[in-house]
Amino acid sequence: MLGARPMTSRNDLLLRVEDLHVFFHSDGEISRAVDGVSYDVRKGETVCLVGESGCGKTVSALAILGLIPQPPGEVTGERILFKGKNLLELDEEALQKIRGREISMIFQEPMTSLNPVFTVGDQIEEVIITHEGVDRAEAEQRAVELLIDVGIPSPEERVRDYPHNLSGGQRQRVMIAMALACGPEVVIADEPTTALDVTVQAQILHLFRELQDKKKMAVLHITHNLGVVAEIADRIYIMYAGVMVETGNGEQIFHDPSHPYTMGLLDALPNRSRKGQPLYSIPGAVPDPAHKPLGCPFHPRCPYVEESCRKEFPEMCDFGDRHFVRCPIINKQRKGS
Amino acid sequence: MMDLNEKNISAAPEGGVLETPKRTLLQENWILFRKNSLAMAGLVIFVLFFLIAVAGVFLTSGKDPIFDPALVRLQEKLRPPLSKPNLETLKPEEIPPFGIYLFGTDDLGRDVFVRMLQGSWVSLTVGFVAVGIAVVIGVFLGGIAGYYGNKRIRLGHLLCPIFLGVGFAGLVSGKTVVGLVLLLLGLGAGTVIGSRGDSRASQRVPVGLSVLFLNLFSVDVLITGLVDIMLCFPSFFLILTVVALLPASIYNIMIIIGLTSWMGATRFVRAEFLSLREQDFVTAARALGLSSRRIIFRHMVPNAMAPVLVSATIGIATAILTEAGLSFLGFGVPPPHATWGNILSNGKNFIFDAPWLTFVPGFAILVVVLAFNLFGEGLRDVLNPKLRERH
Repeated sequence: MLGARPMTSRNDLLLRVEDLHVFFHSDGEISRAVDGVSYDVRKGETVCLVGESGCGKTVSALAILGLIPQPPGEVTGERILFKGKNLLELDEEALQKIRGREISMIFQEPMTSLNPVFTVGDQIEEVIITHEGVDRAEAEQRAVELLIDVGIPSPEERVRDYPHNLSGGQRQRVMIAMALACGPEVVIADEPTTALDVTVQAQILHLFRELQDKKKMAVLHITHNLGVVAEIADRIYIMYAGVMVETGNGEQIFHDPSHPYTMGLLDALPNRSRKGQPLYSIPGAVPDPAHKPLGCPFHPRCPYVEESCRKEFPEMCDFGDRHFVRCPIINKQRKGS
Repeated sequence: MMDLNEKNISAAPEGGVLETPKRTLLQENWILFRKNSLAMAGLVIFVLFFLIAVAGVFLTSGKDPIFDPALVRLQEKLRPPLSKPNLETLKPEEIPPFGIYLFGTDDLGRDVFVRMLQGSWVSLTVGFVAVGIAVVIGVFLGGIAGYYGNKRIRLGHLLCPIFLGVGFAGLVSGKTVVGLVLLLLGLGAGTVIGSRGDSRASQRVPVGLSVLFLNLFSVDVLITGLVDIMLCFPSFFLILTVVALLPASIYNIMIIIGLTSWMGATRFVRAEFLSLREQDFVTAARALGLSSRRIIFRHMVPNAMAPVLVSATIGIATAILTEAGLSFLGFGVPPPHATWGNILSNGKNFIFDAPWLTFVPGFAILVVVLAFNLFGEGLRDVLNPKLRERH
């Protein structure tokens, strides 16, 4: 869908999502949470999926791992390719072997993502034992090493702690340790820093960088925090209402935003040069996924709206150098000028 | 609290002044529980009752028990409590424990104290085994209803076990051909329905077989329906009916009480699972590749146990009461063996001449049932954070 990519060799590609759709059926209505999304993750790369709450970021990530409950969910799509396997066609058993071992996931809320009735050591060991069938003593050894990796002090004692004994930042480090336990090639991080305060956020992001270099893994980072994106992303995908609206590298997105939604997002960031002025906000609200507007999903809020936007679903337009924007209007303007 | 813990980590090796005693959840609950004096009284009585019952089974069972509950001393019948035995008419082995009839004797001169000892073990085991059965069934069914509730039951799911069951019955009863055909049909239905499973890929089914996939109802509807149906029968009469058909024995009583009292536990576990299912740690466990069975039994069940424990504690009291009621009506444990219910039942004939025969077992039942209820309610207050603030 995004066209040919001459720049990369085929071996680099680790995970490719092609035209993914996730629908939810409720009370006779169909919510189109993810409506035709495609993205690629390459070896060792940090890919950021950006968008506001409810735009389908998390749902698309859960769909990769087959974690959407069906029913009420319904996952369709071209394919989700992971190392030559189509994840959409695998059965539950095969998926279980991939989850945690080859693709793992870190969740937003460290407070609730750990089971309150087991020690953190137990929970890390369980993942290792499940996937690698090693004995308990070795698993415990590995758990301690992992806790050292994620920077938790005195790990030999911490493995015997319950989640409620740890702070939010420490719990998120434990979650990361669990996700990395079996050396996955892709880690999906679903807003891993949102629930943490700013200093801890920086520490965790730094930890991610460090571990990524050390373990050579790709990270699919889901976030709505553009500050985080600027800091870590190799490649950025901007989502709006279940649709990919713009994709490019950090340079392109931050210095040459070309979709009206991306422009709005960047304008809404606090900026020193506009000190004293009220913050910009995009007018209107995200459409209800069950009642999306016809044509471009962003058109009711778009300052550049034209008649055709209300009728036709816009195509992805190539802006050159792997920068794609779903807005023919801007494309026309750029070409014209 | 989090700050304290952070400091605690750095201060722990030196044993610094900031160190707060680190408590486990159990210790915290215990501290809260201790503040509730009624519940503590319940717990103390429960422990005492437990010790007495265990002592009772050792002292009164076996071929040559230390205290024989069935020992008849006709010359000593209907002695009031605390009366001394007439030592001249008794053989040495007939002398009651402590040389005194602590709770008096019944119409056959049997020592009520010793009989109560024997009966306490019955009450205890009936309570625990019956509730154990109920909790196991409840956790299993409730867990399935809560976790797999949205899964659909299709015609094939029902036809497969029916065909298999009837076919097997046919084989056993000698109708080999019909049995074999039905068995094969059942296996066929099973493979067709099982092969498709609930995998994400939409697989096509041959038109002729699609009738097997006729959507009937969800797993949740099946199990909650079963619970509602079971609750429609007044359970005591259900038990009476079954007991009337089965030979009376202590094991049958336990099993029947257990099989008719799992509905509460099922509802509790289902409700807990419905909320746990949406919790992040369950999704996280799935994302890390754990199997559903492991998630249900290792991760979700321990988190769902709090209300089940409370209802189980109160359930023990109910089971003891039910057993006593059955024994009182004569449907319980058969007579030579003493239970609190049949001592009571026996005593009612002499209620004006020997009131202790009804008073002693009645009072024991009252105290034990009350103790379990108080303990259960205390447990509920501790385990339910919403109720904590009231005290």
